[in-house]
Amino acid sequence: MLDDLLRIEREFNQALDAAGLDPDAVEAIRVRFLGRKAELTGIMKKLGALSKEERPAAGKAINVLKQKVAARLQEAADQAGEAQRTASLAGERVDVTLPPRMPWTGSVHPTTHARRELETIFRGLGYSVESGPEVEDDFHNFQALNMPPEHPARDGADTFYLDGGLLLRTHTSPVQIRTMKDRKPPLKMICPGRVYRRDWDATHLPMFHQIEALVVDEGITMGDLKGTMDVVWKRYFGSEVETRLRPAYFPFVEPGCEYDISCQVCGGDGCRICKQSGWIELGGAGMVHPAVFQAAGVDPERYTGFAFGLGIDRIAMMKYGIDDLRLLMENDTRFLGQFPL
Amino acid sequence: MLVSCNWLRELCPVDATPERLAAALTARGLTVDAVDADTAPGDVVLDIDIPANRPDCLGHFGIAREVAAAFGVQLSPPRALPESIVPSDELAGLVSVTIEDPGLCARYTARLVRRVSIGPSPAHVADRLIACGLRPINNVVDISNIVLLETGHPIHTFDYRLVNQGRIVVRCAGEAMPFTTLDQVERKLTPEMLVIADDRRPVALAGVMGGADSEIGNDTTDVLIEAAWFDPVSIRRTARRLGLPTDASHRFERGMDKDGVLAAQGLAVQLLEEIAGGQAVPGMIDCYPAPGARETLELRYQRVQRLLGYDPGAEAIHEALDALQLAPREAGEGRVEVQVPSYRVDLVYEADLVEEVARHLGLDRLPSTLPLTVAPTENETVHPLAERTRNVLAGLGFQEAFNYSMLPEGADDRWVPKGTLPALALSNPIAEQLGFLRRSILPGLLQSADLNLRRGNRDLRLFEIGRVFLPAGAGDQRPDETLRAGLAWSGLAEPRHWSRDDRPVDMVDLSGAVAGALSHLQPGLAIREERSETPGFHPGQATSFRGADGRELATAGRLHPELLARFDLPQDLFLAEIDLDAVLAAAGPGLEYQPIPKVPAVSRDLSLVLGEGAGYRQVVDLLSSRPAPATARFEAVDRYVGSHIAAGETALTIRVTLEPYDRTLTDEETERYRLDLIEALESSDLPVKLRA
Repeated sequence: MLDDLLRIEREFNQALDAAGLDPDAVEAIRVRFLGRKAELTGIMKKLGALSKEERPAAGKAINVLKQKVAARLQEAADQAGEAQRTASLAGERVDVTLPPRMPWTGSVHPTTHARRELETIFRGLGYSVESGPEVEDDFHNFQALNMPPEHPARDGADTFYLDGGLLLRTHTSPVQIRTMKDRKPPLKMICPGRVYRRDWDATHLPMFHQIEALVVDEGITMGDLKGTMDVVWKRYFGSEVETRLRPAYFPFVEPGCEYDISCQVCGGDGCRICKQSGWIELGGAGMVHPAVFQAAGVDPERYTGFAFGLGIDRIAMMKYGIDDLRLLMENDTRFLGQFPL
Repeated sequence: MLVSCNWLRELCPVDATPERLAAALTARGLTVDAVDADTAPGDVVLDIDIPANRPDCLGHFGIAREVAAAFGVQLSPPRALPESIVPSDELAGLVSVTIEDPGLCARYTARLVRRVSIGPSPAHVADRLIACGLRPINNVVDISNIVLLETGHPIHTFDYRLVNQGRIVVRCAGEAMPFTTLDQVERKLTPEMLVIADDRRPVALAGVMGGADSEIGNDTTDVLIEAAWFDPVSIRRTARRLGLPTDASHRFERGMDKDGVLAAQGLAVQLLEEIAGGQAVPGMIDCYPAPGARETLELRYQRVQRLLGYDPGAEAIHEALDALQLAPREAGEGRVEVQVPSYRVDLVYEADLVEEVARHLGLDRLPSTLPLTVAPTENETVHPLAERTRNVLAGLGFQEAFNYSMLPEGADDRWVPKGTLPALALSNPIAEQLGFLRRSILPGLLQSADLNLRRGNRDLRLFEIGRVFLPAGAGDQRPDETLRAGLAWSGLAEPRHWSRDDRPVDMVDLSGAVAGALSHLQPGLAIREERSETPGFHPGQATSFRGADGRELATAGRLHPELLARFDLPQDLFLAEIDLDAVLAAAGPGLEYQPIPKVPAVSRDLSLVLGEGAGYRQVVDLLSSRPAPATARFEAVDRYVGSHIAAGETALTIRVTLEPYDRTLTDEETERYRLDLIEALESSDLPVKLRA
């Protein structure tokens, strides 16, 4: 009988090896060796033919073999199942490098990018964002800004007029006047917006975008102006950027100045972009002129304030390396697409 | 202004290099744009940008004053002493001056130099002029220019013989008349223009340019010199009206020094004697009806710190004011009083003196501090939807474009509702294509689409957010500035992809973008679509999106084939415009939580055939008017047009979904509701039937 068991085990091993990882073959082997008609099932009946002494050992040997066969079959079935699942997943494999099904990619204009970045910086410093009309009157665009009729400083802003005497604002400063008139200090605001000047060449567009900042309170100083610009330009252009003030004349500020930042291209050593000076002029600034305060209904004895302005389009061109102003207004999708949201 | 360093050093003995001079002047607010060592032999020329408030610096002497203050040196003694202002009898017999309007001419001085011989200027004079960008003409004209460039004060020279009787009358032209200026151009004078006349006719346009028929010529022997003060506004108006800006008008319109006439006369006479061999008639006629008093101005020391943020100290403030020749004098109670020199027309306010102190001490001395101000921000005036709309439209795959607010005439006529007032015209447009303020965003986007299609950019989805200008009526009334968003879509509906066929964009895509944007901008807002009458759109493919109150929120449509042909576009273009003010006003329910149903929804499909004239919206309006056992939602799940139904008919499957909150509907309830809907459709006037 033990010979039979040895033979069955040998036959089982041979069959299992032959079956490999085929789950059907493994099942067939299970039926053959453990099924109702299997030899191993039937062999128990032959125990009766053995002597009383031989029976326990033979019975034990049969059970050991049965368990062994069952365990090995389970193991083979698991392996076969695993192999089948792996093969099935492999069949579902896709080329992950194929171009994906993308949605359209939208974008916002580079000038919008620059404006938003500045707005974020100013909002973080506690400024509100204000707006006003683009079609203005002479009072808000000029007179309230200490530029009476025929003032020579009006030359700098060649103005578009409408029939009837209204005009297209030449700067966003009228928004400062309107906000000061509407609200009491303290004020801490920026006014981004479109402005218009009658000037059209390689470096000027008749319509462009400005941002101006205004802070009015008791005790505001030109040092605050300097410090604020230091913060704003370091955050916008990078912490290595220096700001420099130079005295300059604007009728609406006194003292007035222009401000430069250290050249981004050469780091201040002097290059073609900064005309070897190491500095790039960004805009005008100063302490709000007492005549402007008076026109806007703010007491110039009690309050002081600073203001500064800049051209957003120019800042955007500097930041993104745009070398042709015309690109900003052509709306070529190959240009716009370079500035995703 | 071009400034000769040699000339400057004559007036102020500094040995600084031109580069140091340039840096010092720039730091004081006289920005040196260029240092040119190549143009003038043996000289270096500074190109200085003189601010509009510093007419005193429009001559070498004024620059020298700034240099002297910057380097702490004394100015050289003046080379010509101001003339006696007492007229001599001899001169009075030859020349008379009458000022008719002292408001326009506050001071007029005249001198006479006889026996002048006209000829070329000596080299040292010619070189100076060339260095400063002027062309030498003859000694007398050149002397005028030298006086202008040195003192900054324009003078005028007449041929004495051509001024009738030597009688100078400063008056307005009084009537419109032709006048030939010395550039031989006939100008049309208007009555209010200030002229210098003799007793018969104008001989010069005051402060702007002389007349051709009193000009210095080669045979001139007696030269009448004018040095005067004219009203800045009057001079500026005349120069602008005639389109004749001159070196003289540039200076007068910024405000000249009423006392500067004396130095100008003195230098002119001296040079005419030295260079042109003339002999001055003694004395000077000085017509100065109301001499101005010397102005004083007070500065509080504490004000310097309040404006600058640091305290330079009383001593430093004094030194600065002194260096600037403002003659500071202690005035008690922490104040200092200065004498404003007659040439410093810019010093009017206390703050002007703070600026003088600041720029003399250097703006690099300012501290860098931050304002401690905390200001309320709750009343922001920026449009609340502008940035949201940018994000939404860019998120929907559109690219932001910028177009001008100005359009060619008539460009937006087809994009505004009937009855809209005509576009506002600019009275001085810079180009014909930028002559009118836009009333719609779409013409600009149409242009941008045109440019892109021409360049072969065939798939485009552009958006622009900006104001349009709707005239309010009267000409002096500001227009209504409304914020709009425009969309333009052409080419593919979806990005080209290997997994699907190309599909061109259509009205359904465009309306989806508009409705999608509106649903982000005003969540939950009920929107109704109607046909739009906007003439720029294809009459059969134009939608008007309206809010609950019927106000139009947006229009969308396919470009009218006529316009497509006019622009010669190679493919269809779809356009939409959203009125962001209307969207803002149509306040929807906003973000408010609605409880999520606890039981599952049930749905039933209604397969319908719509006859001509019946639209989806009408059918849904009818269905939703029926009482429902739970919240009912309708959607179109299938649409068919073709050979299985009659021409003009549309098969439409509408899915009705009932969403009870916490009670499961019985089959009977659902079925009763379905039958009621069918009954309602069949008994309605709409050409709708159930599909067999």
